[in-house]
Amino acid sequence: MTTVGVRRSRRLGRGGMRRLVPLAAVASAGALLLSACGSGSGSGGTAKSLTFWISTVPGQDAGWKKLVAQYKKETGVNVKLVNIPYDGYPTKLHNAAQANSLPDVADVPALDPIWSNKLIDLSSIANNKSYNINGNFLAKDTSGKVLSIPSDVTASGLYINKTLFKKAGVAVPTSPSNTWTWDEFIAAANKVREKTGAKYSLTFDQSPSRLRAMVYEMGGQYVHADSSGKFSVDAATKKAVKYFVGLNDDKVMPKSVWTSGADPSALFQSGDVVAYWSGVWQVASFADSIKKFDWASVPTPAQPVQASDVNSGGMMVGFNNNSDAATAAKKFMSWVYDPKQYTELVESSGFLPVESGLSPKYPFTSEAAQAAFKLYNEEIPLYAPISGYFNNAQTAWVLKGKSLTTDPTKTELGKAINGQQSADKALQNIVDGYNQQVGG
Amino acid sequence: MTKRASDVSGSPPRRRSTYTLAPLVLIAANVVLFALFFVWPAVIGLVYSFTNYTGVGAFQFVGLDNYHNLFGDSAFYDALTRTLLYAVLFVPLNFAVSLLIANVLVSKHAKGTSVARIIFFIPWLLSPIVVGVLWRWLFGENFGLVNYFVEKLGGHAIPWQSNADLSLLVVVMAASWAWTGFSMLLFIAAIKNVPVSYYEAASLDGAGPWRQFFSITLPSIAPTSFIVILLNTINAMKEYPVFVSLNNGGPGTSNNLLVQYIYQTGFQRGQIGYASAASFVLMLILMAVAIIQLIVNRRVENR
Amino acid sequence: MTTTDTPRRIDADPGRPVSKKRSRGASSGGLRRAVPATTLLWILACLYGLPVLWFILSSFKPAGDLFSYPLTMVPHHPTLSGYLTAWRSANFSQYFINTTLVCVITTILTVGASCCTGYALAKYDNKWLKAFFICILATTMLPGEVMLAPEFLVVRNLGLYNSFAGVILPAVLTATGCFMFRQFFLTVPDELVEAARIDGARELSIFLRIMVPLSRPIMLTLAILSFQWRWNDYIWPLLMLNDPDKFTVQIGIQSIVGAQNINWSVLLGASVISMIPLIVIFLVFQRYVMGADINAGLKD
Repeated sequence: MTTVGVRRSRRLGRGGMRRLVPLAAVASAGALLLSACGSGSGSGGTAKSLTFWISTVPGQDAGWKKLVAQYKKETGVNVKLVNIPYDGYPTKLHNAAQANSLPDVADVPALDPIWSNKLIDLSSIANNKSYNINGNFLAKDTSGKVLSIPSDVTASGLYINKTLFKKAGVAVPTSPSNTWTWDEFIAAANKVREKTGAKYSLTFDQSPSRLRAMVYEMGGQYVHADSSGKFSVDAATKKAVKYFVGLNDDKVMPKSVWTSGADPSALFQSGDVVAYWSGVWQVASFADSIKKFDWASVPTPAQPVQASDVNSGGMMVGFNNNSDAATAAKKFMSWVYDPKQYTELVESSGFLPVESGLSPKYPFTSEAAQAAFKLYNEEIPLYAPISGYFNNAQTAWVLKGKSLTTDPTKTELGKAINGQQSADKALQNIVDGYNQQVGG
Repeated sequence: MTKRASDVSGSPPRRRSTYTLAPLVLIAANVVLFALFFVWPAVIGLVYSFTNYTGVGAFQFVGLDNYHNLFGDSAFYDALTRTLLYAVLFVPLNFAVSLLIANVLVSKHAKGTSVARIIFFIPWLLSPIVVGVLWRWLFGENFGLVNYFVEKLGGHAIPWQSNADLSLLVVVMAASWAWTGFSMLLFIAAIKNVPVSYYEAASLDGAGPWRQFFSITLPSIAPTSFIVILLNTINAMKEYPVFVSLNNGGPGTSNNLLVQYIYQTGFQRGQIGYASAASFVLMLILMAVAIIQLIVNRRVENR
Repeated sequence: MTTTDTPRRIDADPGRPVSKKRSRGASSGGLRRAVPATTLLWILACLYGLPVLWFILSSFKPAGDLFSYPLTMVPHHPTLSGYLTAWRSANFSQYFINTTLVCVITTILTVGASCCTGYALAKYDNKWLKAFFICILATTMLPGEVMLAPEFLVVRNLGLYNSFAGVILPAVLTATGCFMFRQFFLTVPDELVEAARIDGARELSIFLRIMVPLSRPIMLTLAILSFQWRWNDYIWPLLMLNDPDKFTVQIGIQSIVGAQNINWSVLLGASVISMIPLIVIFLVFQRYVMGADINAGLKD
């Protein structure tokens, strides 16, 4: 009675509940262990039921959901759509391959050597003339087997704060045919910043892809392999990268984005930054979230090369789990790429199509968003072939059993901007990193 | 099992060390779990550390090459010193703040403890990515709240992100803030276990709150203080997610701690062997730190 | 049984009446002491609460207001759209059930196993127990990333892939839990155990009848910790579970973070939602910890 503990122990006496808890815990741990053995899961679907992994943020899976429901209605085949978070998706695929439980169809961010030998050949879909799929973005192996078809394409995109430009009275190019150079664009943005008292002229995604696009536009090839597979950088690349590092002076661009991971999109959305170098996927979110000022997509600069870094937004693959499911998976994918269904997908997901000859009507109410999509659909066919180099190179590396898990660009240039090393030294380290990971 | 254990212990009391079966039964479950989910995978990892495994396919044994390369890399030493500096700053700050808060929360005199308790607890529930956005909102170099007021008051914006030391300091504060809930919970449980009669005796002797804290609370919760210090040291030396979301180890690579170094030079470049080797070196360092702390703790206890 | 009480009553009994007197004294003449303590508490709470307040208020802001400059604290157009989008983005009600199941089972097992181990480590004096204590500490010393792939292989080989057991079992052993119980039982006087032994009590029944009830505040504290750890686990459940019907809350929340952009207002809303069960657990369990009047002298 003096303490809770002692009082309780007496009241319970023999056979109290409380003493059973730890014992029960230990016992059930053992039981769980035993019972759980053998509860492994089978792999793959059947002719009537498929699993389909995607990775999208809320709201952007609407297109897929619609198609899957429609497919069930038309054919009776049940496609189970599973949304996997982007962070962890490659690891999840990697481990699922080891556990022999890959899905039947997936929209993946990149190929992985561990499962690339389990892929279905999609050449009959890719080569279907009536689909008009852009051959530049297919992942093919040396025998001509098509391993993946992009679900959509993405490219770099330049956004401006139209309100600030208007206030400063600075004009912007209106069509890709009369676009500006990087020098002209930076000069214009600086002028707007000075006239309006904005904080920065530009924020630039901390992304190797965005830097590649800029280097291409300034006539370089970025880190490029020769015929023997050895990487190097050309003079134009060195010049462009030095120019880029110089722009990070806390006036034109804030250093914090490339040195310490500040969010460039949030900075631009604050309304105090003149322009933002990002990608086409921002359109949908800007249409939704920017209400305080007018924004617009403007033609990407060309100095003098009209280019960008064009990638597959996602790569559609089919896994050969068993022959029934593989046939069903291929049938489903063929149905998806039929222009009728594919147009619906592109429209409701806000994708740039990989098939040419479509005229999608995007459901955006925002005029800026409609104009942006019109611009990108005009621009992409104009881009120089270098724009697809990296996308294809990645596939080639995977087929050789290698992969560039992380591009050293971010870290090395972060150090250069922070004054820890020169731009040339950074490029040298990046080239070394490429050679070590995917060279030869 | 239980029966046999009690047979042993049923006989007249002996010296503590003579009991074997009872403790064995008690730790059995954790021994099994330890063997299955720690030893087994750790041995696989240890084997990788002597190979050039890339995560896929076959690998070759390369002897001590990975370890050799690791000790030859100056970035490793930079990361190690930065990690030690971080731990030296974080552990005492977190300890002092959590202990202070736990004491105030347990105090019968403070009003509104139930609401305040939730405020101190919430930061521990946040995911690192949310901690990152909150602290950038406060200490963002360009649009942060603190710099907003500094500039309003006529000062110059403080380089919270581009100065390596200030950037580390922000992480130390953010991590202490986020980890308070954990340490505070341990302290509250410990303080509640201190017999009230001690305080009453001290009160009768005329000891004030400070005297009571230093001569009763602090010695009585010493075992818990030791847990907090040891576990927080280990956690601090493995810190990674908060750095990624706050400054991504930046500016540049100046705030890369060991785990980020392991992650970036090892896993992200497909050098699983190298990453495993570095991890085992980290484990040895942590083990040395823990054993030193255990020895110091025993000396203090026996004094 | 009586003997186990004896050594404790001696110093506990006189403590009781004094304690009552003191708490009465505090309520009448305690204002002088209440002011500094309360002031200190609320200064600390304000410092800690500022980011928390911004976090909660921001979850009611539309995405466009979140990063507008100059900074604002209070939402101009409060909206629940972040919460609604978050809730609809995934099958959260199912995820909550799954996560609760995993958390409850793991927490019970963790508390049980840690209590047993901690007691053995504190009250028995064997060389191999000391070694095992170091081994348990070692489990915290390898970075999670290096263990992930090998641990996955092990759990797969045990046949636990795509089952809750595969999520639960590897998480049961925690160094923190064993350590907490060990340190607690160190403060329980050995005389208590010796007296029971003299009385003829069996080893395990000393543990179950005397020690386990004593350690209730530690159990509850560890339960709060364990619940939080398991609730916020992300990467392991994602790798282990293949069937979306088995997904956990954090998998749903992480899917809000996209490859290229994060919808902060949705993420903040989802974070608030996922936090509520943890706060409830914390409040309920903490009340018992705070209310447990362990007045008896545990340490002589």
